[in-house]
Amino acid sequence: MLLRTVLVTGSLTCVLSTGAALAESSPISALTIATVGNRDMVRMQQLSEGFTAANPDIELQWVALDENTLRQHVTTDIATAGGRFDIVTIGTYEAAIWAERGWLLPLDDLPASYQVDDLLPTVREALSFQGQLYAAPFYAESAFTLYREDLFAEAGLSMVESPSWEFIARAAAALHDPDEHYGICLRGKPGWGENMALLTAMANAYGGRWFDMQWVPQLATAAWRDALDQYLSLLWKYGPPNPEQLGFNDNLALFQQGKCAIWVDATVAASAVTNPRESMVADRVGFALAPQQGLGKRANWLWAWALAIPSSSTSSDAAKRFIAWATSADFQRQVAEDEGWAQVPPGTRRSLYDNPHYQAAAPYSDMVLESLTAADPGNPTVDPVPYRGIQYVAIAAFPGIATAVGNRFAKALAGEITVDEALENAQWVTQKVAEQARFADQ
Amino acid sequence: MASSGFNPHQPLERIDDEQLPVSPHKQHGARHFLGLYAAEHVAATEFVIGATFVGLGAGIWDILIGLIIGNTLAVLSFTLITAPIAVGTRLSLFAYLERIAGNVMAKLYNGANVVIFSAISAAMITVSATAVRVLFDVPPQVAPYPTDVAFVLIAFAVGAIVVLVAAFGFNALSEFASICAPWLMVMFTAGGMVLIPALAESVTGFTTLTSVSDFIAIASASVFTGVNAEGEPGIGLWEVIGFAWAANTFAHFGLIDMALLRYARKVRYGLATCTGMMFGHYVAWISAGLMGAATAATMKLSIMVVDPGDVAFYALGLSGFVIVVVAGWTTANSNLYRAGLAAQALMPEVKRWKVTMLVGLGVMGASCFPFVYRSMLPLLTYAGLILVPVGGIAFAEYQLFPRLGMTSYWASFKGLADNRPAIASWLLSLAFGVGLNVLDIMPFYYLFLPTWCVSILIYVVLARRAGACEAYPEQQRALEDFHQRVAERHERKAAEKHRQRIEDKTWLSKGIVVIWCGVGLIVPAVLAWRVMFDSPDLYEYYVNRELFYDVTIWCTLVYFTFAYWGLQRRKRFKRGGVAAHTPEAAG
Repeated sequence: MLLRTVLVTGSLTCVLSTGAALAESSPISALTIATVGNRDMVRMQQLSEGFTAANPDIELQWVALDENTLRQHVTTDIATAGGRFDIVTIGTYEAAIWAERGWLLPLDDLPASYQVDDLLPTVREALSFQGQLYAAPFYAESAFTLYREDLFAEAGLSMVESPSWEFIARAAAALHDPDEHYGICLRGKPGWGENMALLTAMANAYGGRWFDMQWVPQLATAAWRDALDQYLSLLWKYGPPNPEQLGFNDNLALFQQGKCAIWVDATVAASAVTNPRESMVADRVGFALAPQQGLGKRANWLWAWALAIPSSSTSSDAAKRFIAWATSADFQRQVAEDEGWAQVPPGTRRSLYDNPHYQAAAPYSDMVLESLTAADPGNPTVDPVPYRGIQYVAIAAFPGIATAVGNRFAKALAGEITVDEALENAQWVTQKVAEQARFADQ
Repeated sequence: MASSGFNPHQPLERIDDEQLPVSPHKQHGARHFLGLYAAEHVAATEFVIGATFVGLGAGIWDILIGLIIGNTLAVLSFTLITAPIAVGTRLSLFAYLERIAGNVMAKLYNGANVVIFSAISAAMITVSATAVRVLFDVPPQVAPYPTDVAFVLIAFAVGAIVVLVAAFGFNALSEFASICAPWLMVMFTAGGMVLIPALAESVTGFTTLTSVSDFIAIASASVFTGVNAEGEPGIGLWEVIGFAWAANTFAHFGLIDMALLRYARKVRYGLATCTGMMFGHYVAWISAGLMGAATAATMKLSIMVVDPGDVAFYALGLSGFVIVVVAGWTTANSNLYRAGLAAQALMPEVKRWKVTMLVGLGVMGASCFPFVYRSMLPLLTYAGLILVPVGGIAFAEYQLFPRLGMTSYWASFKGLADNRPAIASWLLSLAFGVGLNVLDIMPFYYLFLPTWCVSILIYVVLARRAGACEAYPEQQRALEDFHQRVAERHERKAAEKHRQRIEDKTWLSKGIVVIWCGVGLIVPAVLAWRVMFDSPDLYEYYVNRELFYDVTIWCTLVYFTFAYWGLQRRKRFKRGGVAAHTPEAAG
């Protein structure tokens, strides 16, 4: 009888104490976030302590990768429903295509405080599918021209508001002084989001397009040849050494060190090059619109890095809470408090551009807003095209094609193949993919 | 009482060699069986079965693990069930059945073989026709029945060639088929390798895989998805194991492969079947699944209706056309030849070529219907179910009767023309197996196990009641005398053979081997390797793939030219036709 009493009492004690322990510790959601390792995303990571302090039931694990690696890892994981990531950093290209495939969860129940209507319409539309937002923009960008006002002045040049590529070439020639600085810096690193973003935007300005209305590839055309010739000529004559190895981050670092007189790239770079804590030329930078060629299109673009939740995530509620925090106006205010208004992730919210503090801290803000709102992914080229997207073609096959074409153009830049070869190769590989798609359709 | 089919007092000269135990000098070592099984199990059927697993919705891990387990069970079945009886009796199952069960049982068995081998042959003719269809721009046949007259004509044309060759020129084709195996192995593997970057690109936009786990992830997302063609959860581990094990039940549990393993010097050479099981039924099935899925993705069709012609053409270019025609044709021919032989045993008075033509007509008709080849995996499984009871009866007779104090060959000793317990056991076991299938008590690919056990049980019980427990000392002595006479005859034959043996050590022959091996096999393998591992983007991939296509077709021509030349030289040496006096022999 004594033994029985001891056993029952012991069992009850065990059960009760286990229950108490379980009740004390609320479940922890561990979110794995895949992000691109650029300065704005790194800042988000640094400020995320504020989020975890306010949300003790959520732990954050970061996977920060360079742009090309991030794309391969995230795409593989999300396409195979790997479930490795709870939040992924994607762009405007992926959002609609992945949403259509059911790979992303809709962001349809963001809190009212998120003010979804404050998002810039072009950016919001670019991240939506069938009117439903699938990725929340962290920052958005177009492209424009960054230049060194001091060097222009020394050379007796003055930048026009809307330069042509010929003007850029003449200016680069005049400013090139390889011992001190290079005449121009442009993306040369291969990748559909690296050199091909710039080259596609350039080709648009030169009257080029990827496909005609019958989906026949148009890379072996005079427009693409002129654009590629200009690009190669600029980098060979006035660019930094080994330009085929330099992507956005590399050129940003060069510009911040005063090594580039002109740089045509993303508008998001503006805050970085004007930040005296990071840039040696912060007070000497001027901005102009992206170069054009007199055909009505500029070499600008529309892009947003945005946060989305893969359908395979098992912590979607916690993921939504994080996304609502990281892409909110409150987060922008937090950045402004810590780093100043100029460092706020740009391009996503109308309220930011209406904010007098921001306007004062970021004199380029009007130009950025103009570039962003003028970007028209539905009408990206001089001649009509059957696709959407400015610096990309919003079709599933594009990353494969553009990665291949980007590699060929990078080889041309490195002098390994001729311009003709690069264009023939580009036309051939795009034709192969198009034929395959036609074959499948038939 | 009528006499049985086997008479031990018969003069040996009057007995067909096929009915006698294999002579020791005709027996082979393990290497022979390693090659033989690799060749036997890399055929056009693999294209179909690989795609079937994809269509049935097997998951990647179920495939990777299930096929290993199922094929290991198959190897063990060959080793522990087939090989001991084959090596112990040195007879084919047909000859053994004649001795233990008499003529009627043998005829029934042959009748079943006619149906099964005809169906396999028809399926393989259709497979070949799908490749020819691509050349003539005839639309894919996605329905179970033919939807284009041109396809019917193509199937009939291919079928006619198969039937004529099976009837009149089988030996020549059989020789040709014997040199196909190494090439088929390389091409099957190459086909999968060539399409993996395309599969990866279709999923991720990148042609490269950064790790094995990437391959697993992409294969599970695009090939072995765990979802079947109807979009429902697919087959699991147990089903994959069952299919892999059951795909050759007619050969191991059904003992058909006694015909091959009777030549094995040792029982353990049954383990040599692992080359067929682990390459043909593992690498080739998975590779065929990859090829099928990539082709289906490209054509935007269900893998269940993408035909092998498209798959091979897409994966291997013109060489793919050759692989499907060659693999389909050789498989169709050997099976039609077997069907013809089995049919002739039912009609011994009609010449073999006439019987083969007759069976061939039916086969040609069936070959017009794509559903026959698409049902290959269930067809093989059900074929196994039909023949497994016969294997059970032979197993009981050989392995259990001595252990149970019963007499092997009792029906023959007793002078029975028909071993009715054996016939009854077969029919009852079949009824049992079919009954289980109808009641849907268990998956059909595992039905062979209870059916085999039941056949053994019934046969032991019925044979015991019919006289298997009795002793037949006089007949035993006659049988021993017969075996003694057979042994003496074998010794004489072996001595004659030994005198004729000439080794081919000429430089020309060695050069021929180097060329077909190097140009025909190694070059395509290296090119395929390059496509898979050195294609960092789509441009490089297409360039490498085009190079593979363009070069491999010439390698294929070189391979068959030189391999066939080498084969003919070996034959002439064996016959002593190329004497050691020829100039190249001196080198």
